[in-house]
This record gives sequence, C-alpha cells and structure tokens, in this order.
Amino acid sequence: MGLPMMSFRPLRSFLSELWQDKAAAIGFAVMVLIVLMAVFAPVLAPEDPATQSLLQRLKPPVWDARGSWDHLLGTDNLGRDVLSRIIWGARTTLTIGIVTCVIAAMIGTTLGLWAGFMGGRTDSVLMRLVDIQVSFPGILLILLVVGVLGPGVWTLIAVLSVTNWMVYARLVRGIVSSTRQMPYVEAAEVIGCRPSRVIFVHLLPNLVSPLLTLLILEFTNIVLAEAAVSFLGFGVQPPDTSWGLDVASGRDYLFIAWWLVTFPGLAIVVTVLSINLFANWLRVTSDPEEREKRFARTIAAKRRRRRAT
Amino acid sequence: MTSKVLAMSASLAALVLSGLTAGSATAQSITIAIGSEPSTLDPQLRDDGGERQINDNIYEALMARTPDGELIPGLAAEAPVQIDDTTWQFKLREGVMFHNGTPFTAESVVGSVLRVIDPANNSEQLSYFSSVSGAEAVDELTVNIKTSGPDPILPSRMYWMKMIDPGYAAEGDLAGVPVGTGPYMFDAWNRGADLTLVVNPDYWGGEAQIDDVTYRFVPEAGTRLSGLMAGEFDVITNLLPEFTTSVPKFAAVPGLETSVFVLGTDNEVTQDPKVREALNLAIDRQSMVDGLFMGYATVAKGSHVNPAAFGFNETLDYYPYDLDRAKALIEEAGAVGKPLVVIGESGRWLKDREQIEVVAAYWAETGLDVSTEIQEFSQYLDSLMGSGPRPDAIFIANSNELLDADREMSYIYHMDGAAASNSDADMAAMIDAARVETDVDKRKALYDEAQQLGHDLNFTVPLFNLEDIYGMSERMDWQPRTDAKLIVSEMTVTE
Amino acid sequence: MIEFILRRLFQGALVVLGVTATVFVVTRLAGDPVALMLPLSATAEQRAAFSAQIGLDQPIWIQFARYAQDVVTLDFGDSLWQRRPAMEVVLERLPNTALLVATGLGGAVLLSIPMGAVAALRPGGLVDRLTTSLSLLGLAMPQFWLGLMAIMVFSVMLKWLPTSGFGTPAHLVLPAITLALTPLARFTMMVRAAMIDELNKQYVQTARAKGLTLRRILRVHTLRNILVPFLSISGWELITALSGYTVVVETVFGWPGLGLTAVQAIQRGDLFLVQAIVFSIAFMIVVIGILMDVISKLIDPRIELN
Repeated sequence: MGLPMMSFRPLRSFLSELWQDKAAAIGFAVMVLIVLMAVFAPVLAPEDPATQSLLQRLKPPVWDARGSWDHLLGTDNLGRDVLSRIIWGARTTLTIGIVTCVIAAMIGTTLGLWAGFMGGRTDSVLMRLVDIQVSFPGILLILLVVGVLGPGVWTLIAVLSVTNWMVYARLVRGIVSSTRQMPYVEAAEVIGCRPSRVIFVHLLPNLVSPLLTLLILEFTNIVLAEAAVSFLGFGVQPPDTSWGLDVASGRDYLFIAWWLVTFPGLAIVVTVLSINLFANWLRVTSDPEEREKRFARTIAAKRRRRRAT
Repeated sequence: MTSKVLAMSASLAALVLSGLTAGSATAQSITIAIGSEPSTLDPQLRDDGGERQINDNIYEALMARTPDGELIPGLAAEAPVQIDDTTWQFKLREGVMFHNGTPFTAESVVGSVLRVIDPANNSEQLSYFSSVSGAEAVDELTVNIKTSGPDPILPSRMYWMKMIDPGYAAEGDLAGVPVGTGPYMFDAWNRGADLTLVVNPDYWGGEAQIDDVTYRFVPEAGTRLSGLMAGEFDVITNLLPEFTTSVPKFAAVPGLETSVFVLGTDNEVTQDPKVREALNLAIDRQSMVDGLFMGYATVAKGSHVNPAAFGFNETLDYYPYDLDRAKALIEEAGAVGKPLVVIGESGRWLKDREQIEVVAAYWAETGLDVSTEIQEFSQYLDSLMGSGPRPDAIFIANSNELLDADREMSYIYHMDGAAASNSDADMAAMIDAARVETDVDKRKALYDEAQQLGHDLNFTVPLFNLEDIYGMSERMDWQPRTDAKLIVSEMTVTE
Repeated sequence: MIEFILRRLFQGALVVLGVTATVFVVTRLAGDPVALMLPLSATAEQRAAFSAQIGLDQPIWIQFARYAQDVVTLDFGDSLWQRRPAMEVVLERLPNTALLVATGLGGAVLLSIPMGAVAALRPGGLVDRLTTSLSLLGLAMPQFWLGLMAIMVFSVMLKWLPTSGFGTPAHLVLPAITLALTPLARFTMMVRAAMIDELNKQYVQTARAKGLTLRRILRVHTLRNILVPFLSISGWELITALSGYTVVVETVFGWPGLGLTAVQAIQRGDLFLVQAIVFSIAFMIVVIGILMDVISKLIDPRIELN
C-alpha cells in the first residue's frame, strides 16, 4: 500500500497499476516532466529569464505572424523570453511548494504525534489551537505578515508553512489516537517500550502513506496560494520569477499581449491539474476501502459493457 | 421591423453597458476613469491625486494656468502685485458665485487662506503654502496675502489653493458635498464605485459643453484600457505608451514628472566624482526613450529640473552615451568589481521598475558590481527620506507642481533636503539665497549656477521628462494640459 | 445543545481575541504609516504632528490598552486613508462583499446539486466523465487568472459585460462566476461522491426493488443524507471565500468590497482600517462556523458535537 519505491519490483507494480488509470498516468507523467523542467532549468531555458532587451519587447509567440523562432512563446514588456521565464518559474513554484509542505508537515506531524500520544489535556489544548488557527482569515493575514517581514521567497515559505500545518496535525493526531488502541501498540507499551520507540517503530509507519497523499494534495493548495499572493504583489519579487508574478506584470498588457497572462496561467493550471489527477488516484489506491469500491466499480462497468455487446 | 429590432437591441446594449455609451443630442455625459478614489472631497486638507482630479472642476483658485503652463489670473481679475517684501495684493473677479449662491468676495479668500494654514487643520498641502502667514481683506474685492519672508513664487503657490466658502466650510459637509465656484457642481458619490458632477449653468466663464461627468476609480492601467476598449470610458489616465496604437484616440503632453537617480556623494563608491560621471555616461537614454516609452518621453537635458519650470538652466549639455569612457572612468577610480546598490520601488510611477532595471543593467556593464533592490513603498520612502544612511543610488520620479526650480533644488540638491544625498554647503547657500530673491533675473542666475554645479559634480543621474498620455474614445476632443489637470470644461464631445 | 453552543461561543471568542492580538502586533511592527500617509514633501514637524495625532508616539502598552478598548467598543478609530471612522468604511463595503459571495456561492450550490447528481447516476458514463474533468479543471484554475481571461474574452473581445466596477447587475456577472467556479467544482465532486455512496447503499437498492422511482428516492432519502456533509463543506467554502479569494476576485474586478479595501488599506499603511477589517472578517468566520455546527446538529441529531 502507498508509495513504496524502495526497490525496483514495487516500482514496476506501482507503474503498472498507475497505467490502468490513464488520466492519473498522464498526470503523473506531466508532473515528472515539470519536476525535470525545474531541475534542468539552466540547461533547458533558451535564455536567461532576467535578460532584458528593449528592442525585443512584447514579441508575440512563434505561430503569430510577427513571432519568431528566437522566442517560442514571445517576450514580455521588458523583452524577456516568456518560455524561459516559465521554465525558471517552475523552479520557484516547486521549491516554495515542496519546502513549505515539508515544513508544514513536520510542524503538523510533531504536534499531531504529541497530541495523539499524550492525549488528555495536552491533546485538547493542541487541538483547540488547531481549531483557532483554522479560523484565522488566511490570505489577509498572509498579506499583513508579508507587509511586516517584507516580501520574498523565504517570507512566503515561512508564512505559508505557519498557516498550513493544521491539516497535518489533525490527520496525524486522528491516526495516532486510533492506532494507539491497537493491541500491538498497547502490548508494546505494556512491556515497557520507551515512548520514542513506540512512536518511531509502531506509529510512524502507519502514517507514511496517508501523510504522503495529504502532502501531495496540499501541494496544489500551496502552489495556488503562492501564485495568488505573488499576483497581489506580496509574494515573490523581481528579479526572481514566479508564474503568479508574471501574470500580475502581464496584466497591464492584457489587451495587446495576451500571451503574457495566458502562458504563465496555463503553467499553473497544468501543474495543479496533473498533480490533482495523480493525487486523486493515489488517495484511492492507498486507501483499502476506496480501493475495494473502485475495484467493484470497474467490475460493474465491465459487466455492463459485456451485457451491452 | 428591422429598425424596431435595432432600437431594442440598442437600448439593451445601453442597459448592459450601464447606459454609458448611449449619448444623446440633448444631454452629453462622459465617463472618466482615474487611478484612485478621493479619500475626501475637502479641497484643502489632503495631498491626494484622486481628490484633485475631481475638485479641479468644482473649485477654482486665484491663479490659473493655460493648458501649456502659463500662469494667468483665475478668480483674480488681474495679475497680483507685490506691494512690499512680504505682501502680495490680489484684485478679485466680480460677480462670481459659489454653487450654493453665496457670492465670492475678499472674505472668502481670507477664510480659505486661514483655513489651509490653520495648524489645527494639519493640512497636507501646507508644504505648498509654507511661506503664507496670513491674509486680510482690503475691500470687497481686494485682498492682501502676507508671507513670512520675501516669496517670489507666491502667485504660483496660489494656483494650488482652492477657494472655499468659509461659511459653508463651518456648517456644511465639505468633505462629502463640495461647494465651489467652478464650472461643475457635485452631484453624487457612491463610495467605492463612482462619482458624478453636473455642469454649472451659472458659471461666470459660461456654461461648459459637457452636461455631466462620471468618474470611475480604476487602479490598474490594464483594466482602464480594457474599459476604454469596451466602450465604458471616454477618457483614461496614464495610458501606457505601448497602447497608443491600440486605442481609438490618445493625446500626450509633456508632464510634471522627471525621473532621476540621486547619488550618495558620501558613500564609499559613489563619493568618487569619476564613478558618478561614469554612471551618467553609461546609460543610452535615447534607446530607453524609444524602447521603453515608444518616444513618449524626452531625455532630460543635463539636469532633473523640469524644463517648463522657472529657473531651468537651458544651457546645460545632455549627458552623452559613452560606455567606453564610463568603463575607463571606473577603471581609473579603481572601482572595478566594487558593489553599487540601486534602490527603487515599483508601481508608483510610469515604468518605474523598468527604468530601474534597465539602468542597473547599463551600470553593470561599466564593471561595477550592481545589485538592485526594489523595496516595498513604505520601506522605499524610508530609504529616500529617512534618517538612515543614504543609498548609493535611489530612483525617484520627481513631480514639480509649482513649476518652479525651487522644488527640485530644495528637495534633491539642498544638503538638508529630504531626498538629498550630498553635503555640499555651497550648493545649499545658493539655493537658500534664490528662495528669497525677489529679483527675477538674479534668482534665475542663482538657479543656473546651482544646476551647473550639480551637473558638473554629477550629484544626480537625470533620466527623462515623462509625458502624460491619455486614452480617449472616438467621440472625445481634448488637448491635455502640462499640469496634468483633468479640466472637463476644456473637453468637448463630437457626435 | 446549550452547553455545546456556549463552548463554541467561548472558543469563538478565543479566536477573535487571537486574531485581534495578532493584528495588533503585526500592524505595529509594520513600516511607519506616517511616511506612507503623508505626501513626499511633508516636513519632519508635520510627520511628528501626525504621529502624535494618531497616537503612535505613545508607548506600546498604552497603544494596546487603547486598542483593546477599541475592540470592546467596536470603534477602531478613524481610517488614516479615508479620514472617517474605520467601522463606517467596513459597514459600507461589507454588503458589497456579501452580495458577491452570496451570488457566487449561491449559484455554485444550486448548480452543483443537479450536476453532481446527474453525474452520479452513471459513474464512468459520458456525463460523469465530462463533469469530473470540468471539475478537476475548475479546481486547477487560479481565480485571478480566470478573472483576467474572462475580462479578455467577455468584456474586451465580445463586449458583452463591463470590465470592472460596480453598480448594475451586469457588473456582478463576471466576478460572481469567477468566484463561483472553484467552489462549484468542489461541491459537484462532493455531491457526486456522496451520491454514488448513497446509491450503492442497501436502502436504495431495497427501495428500488420495492418499485419506488429513482426521483423519489433521491428526493426523500439520498439528498437529505448528503445534506449535512454538503452543508459543512459549503460553510467551509464560505469561510475560505471570506478570508481568501474575495480578496483576489475583488482586486481583479475592482469590486468595492472588503477584500479590495483590505488590500488598499494594507498598501496604504492604514492600520486602523486593517484592524477593523480583519476583526470583522474573523468575527464573521467564527459566527458562520458556529451556525454551521448548530444547523448540522438540528438536521441530523446523531452528529456528535465536539
């Protein structure tokens, strides 16, 4: 169950299972492509994303009559290559997404483990804290805090982590408090295992798969939040690149240069869509109950089809 | 049948576009999109562009300007006379009435002056009127305005002081329902959405052609443009140069703003005059004008003083573009690889970030290690005017509302000026002397000398005199003004 | 029930308290509002006078005491930007946001039920696939981008609707649709999934065997069973809309609601207005949360309230 990629054989079975669901497979493939794009941005990008050229401003994409092969997706208001900016933008987006998710998950998991393991008063205080923070007006507070710390990639990561750890805490705490009542965990505690051993040997393994799934699902939220905050001018700042930022700076040129807003926006849509497709499949696959349902549905569909022919 | 359908669809379209495009022969209405909503309609308290753009049509001042900037009498009947060092005398126009029927008299002027300078009101416009100390009525239509010291530019200052009805200011709602003497009268203000004015049929200068005008508040240039293209607006402000070819009509006029970098003359790298000279020589200003502004800006002629302002030194040379010389100077100064931090902001002025980034790229070519810091606006203001260390180079688009060199001089060249980055006492002495010099020629000579000094020492890197560009619908006919005021009575609609 | 409501009220008070304290700390740490509020040419004396006028020259604990008093009396002082009571600005803009959210989310709720239900009737069928794909697409689209695209197509190219602004029903269409799309996608997916689950349950099979029409089963049993989860997800959407994407949508369309006003207030360093807005939004979020819990409990008393 889950995503065991430690050895070759499970990987192959994972891939073959994924292949059954074409949409998820495509999503996964696109996801991998975007990651590769981000990793190899310096090699792939035809130009430096920050290089300006006053003579090459607002050139349309190659298929337009005025376009040229020098700039496949055209250039922006400073003559920067749109394609290169999108490729480099993937880096910013993925970095912010991954780092934020990992930090938020670490905070959430730690607090969730603690709450679930200690139970009682600690548990209720921590969960109350989660409830309270969930009710904070999200983006508004982010904007406020950014106003204080000054905008930038690291501010954004810090703020998004601090405002997104709650889901992980809830998930982990739920699993921990239910697993603790399992006979084998109770047994381990009775024979005097240290709490740390109980946590690491008995509890954590149960958490890996749901946590991973949640992480991937949450990732898209972070991507969208980063884009929105950058769009509002409170996120990533030039000369750094970000898709949300590029949409914002292309906004003034919407009317004469549609490609400035369209392409970075499409990049966001494609990224989020492909991750969602894959994550949905993963969620079902890693949940035995959902798996059964899916299996039942496939069988039913097959039967229906057979009957029809 | 067909005409009926046509008429129906036309009225439907009018409904959809909230009736804005459906002009008729009897009443002419236009819609103007401006960048920001007024924070108040009180004409004397704030220094607020949105407020000004609207109140310029409701209120008038003693002095006015022609569209190309020449100072002429407004509510004053003739040019004022300086009767002694600290007194200017104004004769007032006869028969002028406020919109509420109160006659405009010397007492109205006295009330208006005293209200602006009353410390209790804490007016943000005080900086325009810093020299004004009081006013007294001589007779019904003659008024003396007193200054604390000799003030040669008082008439220019009075162009900025809107005349209110003191009685109404005390009892009425000046902030919400303005009452002036101007060609348009306040009608309605739906906060957050729009504001409407109607023509003043009893205006002393004759009734204006356009019957009513609706202002919409649209902060984004792109959105304003979309609205113009969609037929919702008749006039939009701050059109980007790129769009001049897309809009139905546009008009450009040299504006009040000059973009400039102020150099820190006491900073490690920029204290060397050679480095500062190199920074001025390394920029290809003309290709920036062509590439960035599509020609709608002019290269500043050796100084950041507005060319339309009194005191502009027209004999200065342009800084040439000479990259090799710049590189050599940096080499000579031993500054190769030394850090230069360029500070700026984004979104406040036309193409500010673009100018900053392009100039920083030029400077990087000289061999300096240039880094750019685009700061959030409050942080930027602190860098520009705070008490901390002066930046190596900081960008500003300076605006000269009084069209007098005193602004650029006191603000950027005078060592005590808020945005100044030098500590040159000679320069400061010249500026102080010019400020109280009532002899026009002597004053001009002092400014010429100060500008020559600043030019030779490269205290600043002047860039461009920016042009204001307005987008207009097909039916509009209007020549915009140098002082960037949107005077609706000067607009006409052709249909 | 009473005890539950009291507990939730107490918890809500904690949230509001937490938010207001956070906002106080954050706004006082933020850059000097004086520099932002006054013109570039203001003198040092003017700045000092202004600072004293708005009480920023006082020690921080006095400022906090004043602020606490403001919160209790619901009077947040005058907006620095608009020079009138901040609460007046909030109350003036609040109905605009409410109109936008009500239209957008209301439309999403009304549309999602039939869409999700039809899709659920034949899972894997053409309609289902179409609905699911569109929903996934809807979830992937950032509102700010969708809004700009809508302006480009419907206002600039087709000239059907105004580009931005406020006032007539026509002005409401694009912002409401932009706001509605993500919730619509989420609602539809939720209704679909819940319906599929319900339709596979024994009672539906039994009822169908008894000869009841599908329409009746849907109306009487199934829809009621998914009402509670649906309600809680719409409550959650409402909260996210208020605290998040109204800001984005209002900014794109120049819609004079609380979100746009908040962004403008932050940009202008208008700390009193920011405090009033954040307080009001936090308050609304808490009230909505409590209402949702209570209504769920009323509909389905089996729900354990904790």
